[in-house]
Amino acid sequence: MSEEDSRSSEDETSEDEDINDYYNNNEDDFIDNSDVERGQDGEEIMTSDYYSSNEYIRKRMQELEYYDYQCLTGTEVEEKLAKDTETTAELLNISPPLAQLVLLANKWKITAINTRLKLSPVERGKLLVESGVIAVLPSHFKHRTEHKKLSLKSAVSCGVCFDVFPVSDVTSLSCKHMFCRQCWTQHIDFTVKEGMNAGIPCMENDCSVLCPIDFVEQFLKGDSARLYRDHLFRISVTTHYRCRFCPGVDCPVVLFAETPKPRRVTCKRCKMSCCFECGNEYHVPTDCETIKKWLVKCADDSETANYISANTKDCPACHICIEKNGGCNHIQCSKCKHNFCWMCLGDWKAHGNSYYECSKYKENPTMTNSSQQTQAREALKKYLFYFHRWENHSQSLRLESNARLKIQSQIEEKMNRSEGTWIDWQYLLRAGELLAKCRNTLHYTYPLAYYAGGGSEKALFEYQQAQLEVEIEGLAWKLEHAGEYQRGEVENQMDVCEKRTQTLLARFVAN
Amino acid sequence: MAGLPRRITKETQRLLSEPVQGISATPDENNLRYFHVTINGPKDSPFEGGVFKLELFLPEEYPMAAPKVRFNTKIYHPNIDKIGRICLDILKDKWSPALQVRTVLLSIQALLSAPNPDDPLANDVADNWKRNEAAAIKTAREWTQKYAMSGGQ
Repeated sequence: MSEEDSRSSEDETSEDEDINDYYNNNEDDFIDNSDVERGQDGEEIMTSDYYSSNEYIRKRMQELEYYDYQCLTGTEVEEKLAKDTETTAELLNISPPLAQLVLLANKWKITAINTRLKLSPVERGKLLVESGVIAVLPSHFKHRTEHKKLSLKSAVSCGVCFDVFPVSDVTSLSCKHMFCRQCWTQHIDFTVKEGMNAGIPCMENDCSVLCPIDFVEQFLKGDSARLYRDHLFRISVTTHYRCRFCPGVDCPVVLFAETPKPRRVTCKRCKMSCCFECGNEYHVPTDCETIKKWLVKCADDSETANYISANTKDCPACHICIEKNGGCNHIQCSKCKHNFCWMCLGDWKAHGNSYYECSKYKENPTMTNSSQQTQAREALKKYLFYFHRWENHSQSLRLESNARLKIQSQIEEKMNRSEGTWIDWQYLLRAGELLAKCRNTLHYTYPLAYYAGGGSEKALFEYQQAQLEVEIEGLAWKLEHAGEYQRGEVENQMDVCEKRTQTLLARFVAN
Repeated sequence: MAGLPRRITKETQRLLSEPVQGISATPDENNLRYFHVTINGPKDSPFEGGVFKLELFLPEEYPMAAPKVRFNTKIYHPNIDKIGRICLDILKDKWSPALQVRTVLLSIQALLSAPNPDDPLANDVADNWKRNEAAAIKTAREWTQKYAMSGGQ
């Protein structure tokens, strides 16, 4: 979508020249790298001058949520990783395969490694030990003499298969734990097949030295070698603080950002979006930690909560939670022995002959009881309040996600009836896009509201939330009843929606 | 038995010729990778006096993969669950091909001397162990008496 803006902004002379250039450059990169088929009906080319009307707001919105990232192919990432490895190798004065171990153990944060090195001369040794490059600090290295003695012997017993080998047939990592080549092959092969998530360690018990790539590859052939390369790449990307695999199923794209932040990143290949920082669905204005808490809570509680609210009632006398397990509506509370009617929650005594009275609607008397059950109910009520709204918007998002197709067919219909030209109706598509974006933001305000403390901050937030909600529903209505509204009306509504979203986001994005 | 790696043969021979104090491990007649194990409850532990039966199996990938060990005798221990599974790092991510059946069984014996309720497998037991150690030890002793003495299962 973003290509369109840059094109239109080229036509425009605005005071934000610099920013425009910035975007353009970036978007151009985007296009250059892209081997994706775009817009089946080629809308990019034809829509260009439409956007000018909302260009200003759109630009501001972009500024607010603008995030500099790239979609890279495997090879491009490999190149970056290789470069990082070179740099670190020089920095630490070790071989690149060993430097790779250091990077894997340090999330590929070269700057952090560098800062640590400058701290004190011992840091280098500590870093190498922590990364599994060497077993102990060089100053404590006693094995050296032992090793000399060992190499004088003609035969060595392998500690894994217990067979005896000539010195030429055994080998070790920097820790000098000698094992035969056959055992190394089996060990490496087995660990690779198991997924090697913790790297491939030395075979000795309690030894923390890891096998570097050059050591591993002398033992692997064919499928195992390929599998090893795949695992190594996967682990490199997942540990790399600037990389994230595209969340799309089987999508090989790696999202790459110079400065990792909780911002929306969209894969240009499969169009899946996520939050760069945590990989969940994009969740501004809620932060990564809160959304994680909320999603866990939803997964834990919502089913239980739904069950409780659907299948239980509170005893009208003692407020304990009761689950009805039979058909009879005459309930005796097992805790306080109160007899009541499941239908109307009224005293059973009043029933007798006039049972059907309880099908008449009566106001529920307000109960003021601060017992534990009531508190639990209150907590549940609070959670359900937010959860239902959250779910509701998520449903709306799902329904509106296929709105694009609907709008497109509407446009075609209008064109067939000669009601304006193609270009005249493009604002509807834009409105649909905007609606999705704003609703997504609104959707993610609910977890934030649930965890927010009280105070004026919350009051302001809730006010803004309510304002946004009104405008979003307004836009959704106007879009669904597009025939009844003038283009100007819809565009005004879009404008208001965008501004409200922006106001709400401004504070959170700034953090 | 055909195809049994020399390492397993050697380990078995050594286990039989130089047994570890308080531990016995005998290979099954029909499957030399399957061992019948007994561990005596260590001195000064709530398991003292008990004889615990275990089963140990060496999988195809052994020694690259860890042996599979399970208690067959019921035991009240925070790191051993109801069906006898053991929470011990060297049986999982800390396994090293340089470890042996002997070292594994010694580690299990050590686990009986020093239960670790901070890394529990049986949560209820671990909770009791932390909240009221004296009572937990008493229960462990009762279980030892009931299940691990004089042929109890």
